[in-house]
Amino acid sequence: MDIRESLSMALRTLAAHRLRSFLTVLGIVIGNAAVIAMVGVGQAAQRYTAEQLASLGTNVLFVVPGREDARRRGIEPPATLTWEDAQAIAAQVPTVRWVAAQINESALASYGNRTTPTAVTGTVPDFFRVQSFDLQQGRFFHELDVQRQGRVVVLGSDLAAKLFGDRSPIGERIRLRNLSFEVIGVLAPKGAFLGTNRDDAAYIPLTTMAYQLTGRRSPYGLTVAFISVSARDEASVSAAQFQITNLLRRRHKIVDEDDFYIRTQKEAVAIAGNITGVLTILLAATAGISLLVGGIGIMNIMLVSVTERTQEIGLRKAVGATEGDILQQFLLEAIVLAVAGGILGTAVGTLGLIGIGWVTPLQAQVSWEAVILAVGVSGTIGLVFGVAPAQRAAQLDPIVALRST
Amino acid sequence: MKAPLIRLVNVSKVYGLGENQVQALQNVSLEIQPGEYCAIMGASGSGKSTAMNIIGCLDRPTTGDYYLQGENVARCSSAQLAHIRNQQIGFVFQQFHLLPQLTALENVMLPLVYAGVPPRERQQRARLALEQVGLGHRLHNKPNQLSGGQQQRVAIARAMVNQPALLLADEPTGALDSRTSQEVMDLFAELHQQGVTIVMVTHEADIARRAERIIWFRDGQVLHDHLRPDDVYQAIRAM
Repeated sequence: MDIRESLSMALRTLAAHRLRSFLTVLGIVIGNAAVIAMVGVGQAAQRYTAEQLASLGTNVLFVVPGREDARRRGIEPPATLTWEDAQAIAAQVPTVRWVAAQINESALASYGNRTTPTAVTGTVPDFFRVQSFDLQQGRFFHELDVQRQGRVVVLGSDLAAKLFGDRSPIGERIRLRNLSFEVIGVLAPKGAFLGTNRDDAAYIPLTTMAYQLTGRRSPYGLTVAFISVSARDEASVSAAQFQITNLLRRRHKIVDEDDFYIRTQKEAVAIAGNITGVLTILLAATAGISLLVGGIGIMNIMLVSVTERTQEIGLRKAVGATEGDILQQFLLEAIVLAVAGGILGTAVGTLGLIGIGWVTPLQAQVSWEAVILAVGVSGTIGLVFGVAPAQRAAQLDPIVALRST
Repeated sequence: MKAPLIRLVNVSKVYGLGENQVQALQNVSLEIQPGEYCAIMGASGSGKSTAMNIIGCLDRPTTGDYYLQGENVARCSSAQLAHIRNQQIGFVFQQFHLLPQLTALENVMLPLVYAGVPPRERQQRARLALEQVGLGHRLHNKPNQLSGGQQQRVAIARAMVNQPALLLADEPTGALDSRTSQEVMDLFAELHQQGVTIVMVTHEADIARRAERIIWFRDGQVLHDHLRPDDVYQAIRAM
């Protein structure tokens, strides 16, 4: 029989049992919606982290104390990266432009009767360039502030708003761990970075941080959390990495294993991409399982349907339908169901993604690959899971089928 | 002499295997000429339904040959049998077996769909067939909107739409009251007048009497081959 004939017949049958058809495809709809939404979210997360890392500033390298695999070994070697190292990098490595060492602490910030916990970063003026911060008002601190251990602070926009509301904080004094600091600048909003709000933060000179706020000293000198380095341009990133490694090895008199490691922004992006990529696969796999369950649902209902329509099958055979005709008809019904479920699920998944885009910063998009994959897989599932019921229908003995009441 | 439409030669049918074997038909030989109007009678288990299934190409004999219009169909493949059922045989069943989701017209069109007739011609022929059974005004009704008699007439239209050589009816009045039964029988008589060969299985003597020849089955064999309708009550008494 003509395939279009079978198709219209399948559509007639499915339309005659709308509720059942809908319930049958529900599993596929949910499975597809899940695939579309999950892949969309995964890819959006990937893009989001890449953008976030790019917002750190371009051509950035991070010099981090410790061994790369220290966590795996469970032994944390002494942190030996110092401000002197940072100054040496700035002075001796020709391919770097800006070098910013930093120490991170958390502290209570208070102004008048308002107190709020915040992140305090001790650093140098180049920090604002490396990380491409902009000012909303006032100024960054200078080299001189660092030399003098000046009690000056640059506020993130959120912290400024928390402490001062709409008033201008410039020239006011706030307290950090009971030390008084003069507010000299407020940064333009930068947004959150991988879950840390960089606008709810205070930035003070590195020396002030080390000698007055934390008071932490080590035999190595002024140790820092990490050093961010901005290379001259993108082409010199790997040269800078090489030169910094050599310099630090010499300075730290290293013979075998390094006590620091260097991450480039590109590596960070790649790592984050790997993590979110694995996440995407995980989400898609979970969603894929629901697609499979949906397929089994179709098979289930189709088998019931064959039993229920025994008489119809017998009659069709009596008036001249061959086994092939019956097989084709039932297979088509299963495929139509599955593909319809796929399309419906894509629509639902798309709506879900739009919803996710509203409530989270993830700008999720429907990926065409996911749509084609999901609908294609649905069709295949319909085909695969439709075979068993269709074969059962085709092989029914017309006599038995007609006799059953 | 005209070639018989149906010729069964030593047809046997065995169901089951081993000890559970049931001999439904034993060496049945039978001829039905074109244009005949036969009723097949017999008690349940007499083999009349088995004979009907074999004549209708729904089943194949275990041994023996069945010639339909001179062609031996006993050893045809199931696809070939489907084609023969489509082209040469029209079925009418006790339970009508109309597809509930289709209209009367679409139900009648069904055999033409499997015959590969193009849609437009299909519609014309189905409409004509329905007009012939007096349902020209009910083309677009679904079966559940029709009375039992009307449903059976739709089924007859469906059986006749492909102009088969043989109309095969299995208890065609079994689900109808006596008045509509007579209407259906009148329709059969009319078809018989037009030269259609009719073979009808029934256990009702009153219905069987409308045929011109009664074949009586008993224990898988033909007891009476050419029983005249007037003698049917006598035959029943003789049992």
